[in-house]
Amino acid sequence: MSEDLTRRALLGNVARGTVLLTLAGGAGFLIRKANGQVVWQVDAARCLNSRLGEVNVEACSLCTSACVVALSAVRAVNEYSKCGRCNVCPAYFNITSAVDEHGLPSEKLCPRDAITRKAIGKVDPEDPANNFYEYAIDEDKCDGCGKCVMKCKEPLGLGSITLRIRYDKCVNCNRCAIATACPQSALLQLPVEQAIRPPEVRRLGL
Amino acid sequence: MSWNRQARLLAAALVLLGCLFLCVSRAPAQAVPYQRPVDTAPQPGAIGGGYKTPDVQKPLPRAYWLQVLDVGLLAAALGVSVWLVLKRRNRKWLVALTAGSLAYFGFYREGCICPIGSIQNVTVALTDPRYSIPMVVTATFVLPLVVALFFGRAFCGGVCALGAIQELVVLKPIRVPRRLDQALGLLKYAYLGLAILFAIRPALARDFLICRFDPFVGFFRREGAPHMLLIGGAFLAAGMFIGRPYCRYLCPYGALLSWCTRLARRGVTITPDKELDCGLCTGACPYGAIERMRAVRPNCFYCARCYAYCPRDGELARAKPSLVQLPGAPS
Amino acid sequence: MQYRQVRVIAGRFRAALRGVAVDKGGHIYAAGDSEIKVFDAEGALARNWPTAKPALSVAVAPDGSVYAGEPGQIEIFDTAGKLIDGWRDEKLLGFVTAIGFTNDSVLAGDVGGRAVRRFDRHGKLLNTIGKDNPVNGLLICNGVVSFAVDAQGVIHAANPGKHRVEQYASDGRLLGHIGRFDGVDPAGFTGCCNPTNVAVGDCLYTTEKAGPRVKAYDFSGKLLTIVAEDAFDANCKNMSIAVDSSGRLYVADTVKLAIFVFEEVAA
Repeated sequence: MSEDLTRRALLGNVARGTVLLTLAGGAGFLIRKANGQVVWQVDAARCLNSRLGEVNVEACSLCTSACVVALSAVRAVNEYSKCGRCNVCPAYFNITSAVDEHGLPSEKLCPRDAITRKAIGKVDPEDPANNFYEYAIDEDKCDGCGKCVMKCKEPLGLGSITLRIRYDKCVNCNRCAIATACPQSALLQLPVEQAIRPPEVRRLGL
Repeated sequence: MSWNRQARLLAAALVLLGCLFLCVSRAPAQAVPYQRPVDTAPQPGAIGGGYKTPDVQKPLPRAYWLQVLDVGLLAAALGVSVWLVLKRRNRKWLVALTAGSLAYFGFYREGCICPIGSIQNVTVALTDPRYSIPMVVTATFVLPLVVALFFGRAFCGGVCALGAIQELVVLKPIRVPRRLDQALGLLKYAYLGLAILFAIRPALARDFLICRFDPFVGFFRREGAPHMLLIGGAFLAAGMFIGRPYCRYLCPYGALLSWCTRLARRGVTITPDKELDCGLCTGACPYGAIERMRAVRPNCFYCARCYAYCPRDGELARAKPSLVQLPGAPS
Repeated sequence: MQYRQVRVIAGRFRAALRGVAVDKGGHIYAAGDSEIKVFDAEGALARNWPTAKPALSVAVAPDGSVYAGEPGQIEIFDTAGKLIDGWRDEKLLGFVTAIGFTNDSVLAGDVGGRAVRRFDRHGKLLNTIGKDNPVNGLLICNGVVSFAVDAQGVIHAANPGKHRVEQYASDGRLLGHIGRFDGVDPAGFTGCCNPTNVAVGDCLYTTEKAGPRVKAYDFSGKLLTIVAEDAFDANCKNMSIAVDSSGRLYVADTVKLAIFVFEEVAA
């Protein structure tokens, strides 16, 4: 009887040890491959709003509606170093609206009024058309609808505004709902360092 | 062997074979070519006036040390769960732990990352050479299994947020007939197999079923699609009378935990030499984990109700004796 | 005033078509890829020769020599395509996207300096036009300086950021400007930075991007006609334009890599 018990105990130990070794081995294998966190990011070269080709097309707002977070984790981000700082910005103004008395379009494009316009550099006090303007997007108001991105795209603009996922808002789902919904398959999983690099948007050459 | 045991072994074998067979799949390339942009935008020198191009904000995801902290808290909660149930046998404190886990892992961390979903991440990491799984996710997957290997399903008891939310709504659990219980229990193997199958697919076709069909994540995030919230509500409503239906019949991680628990030496025990044969524990267990006065460890969710109701061991045992006036007896 | 499309010269360039010019004899000079190609009036290729760097612009001097604008330099060829001279200056000739001539000097557009540089015939800098004049000068977010010299020696330079064409004297004085922004009225310039390129003949011709079109204005700024609107690819940008002595227009479509020739239709 006692022999039977010790044999069972031994078998139990062996079984536990084997499973433990398998788990440890598997974990070790996975840890050796471990490369830090991967996060989702929008590929500007595939996103319909920022890729070259389609002009005069309705902006795609799936990033806004598909995200599981209430105010989508996707925001329009203006890469300042690539912005033209133009007087009449097609992403800020609705350039198809009537011109007001200052010679600028009377309506703004952003439905949530998230873009601000500020004169920068050497300011000409007499002629406002003679200035550079900085356009900043307020990320608390932006919902990633993509209208400004579509208008900033070449050839109308310089393509400095793109849709990006903001990681302080993104939950980093295994299965990103936007990635599943996007008809252009424009969402990729990248290591964090790669994902936060500015996008290399295709531009029309000179 | 009984038929359902055979069925379970067969299901397990099929799942394992399927994994091995599909291990050779490779994900397609995801390279995206970019053209060098021609830089025509005005530089700060051209803009003049002392203008400096402002930095574009690059918010980072959750700090790494916080993710490690989560794993540490998971390990600590597992340890506390084991200690509370096996050593102290105290249901009150266990309920406190359950509530705490629900608050932290459930509502604060919004249910992510959880060991149940990590099955998919581990599967992808084992089959897709391009995918590298963060260490914290591996740890989240392995820790509850290791604990289950030695002590049983301590994870299910006080730690799992999905289990916690169901645990706290148990009202008047009914006894599910054994045959039905065992038949429904096969569903979790099917779910496990499907989850692995869909996780193995190439990157763009991959689907994380466990995350998609998580009924309670809508509550944790305090928002979600209406149909998912309804399903979650239905599970909770059912949970008032059936006792952790997701855990018993659907949880794929539970399948892995029950396999590990079979090999555990320690666990919830009803010691044969001390028990009274009163049956109070059997009635107390809402999950049908006590059969013929013995704990069925693979099904035991570490809720410690059996200990609480035991006249030898639990509250009844610790209650102060008081005289009961029997009717008709001389005072 | 109506124009019709006479000819399309296509299929001659592989990657880029950046500049177009025409000489007194009606030959069409095109700068693209890294070469200059010369076509006769019917569109047949007459000559072509390579340039040292990508050719950004081309112009024919009154004496027939061909000036090719390139990054950091100007190369001067004779009519047969033999290299006569080269002016290299990284600072003064950042990206030469337009070349013009007054009676005694050569004008070159400098994208790096956002200005028009005036040189004598030997390449010595005489003065700079349009730089910070006033305040911020030429606002060229498209990366192209475009100007044309009329018969009186007035330099008409496109200032797309302000949606204007500005007139300068050759000593750099700003004489005036025409044009305004308007996204609705076709008489105005739409988009963020238009017009991109200009040419001068009997009237002022402009090309625009984003809704690419060619328009003709008189020198007081009144819109005469829209020369062409639908002929070009929607993604065109910086379409170079040239006018010959008979009033024919030559416009470079930068996406289709073709030269469109337009002629006025007798009313």
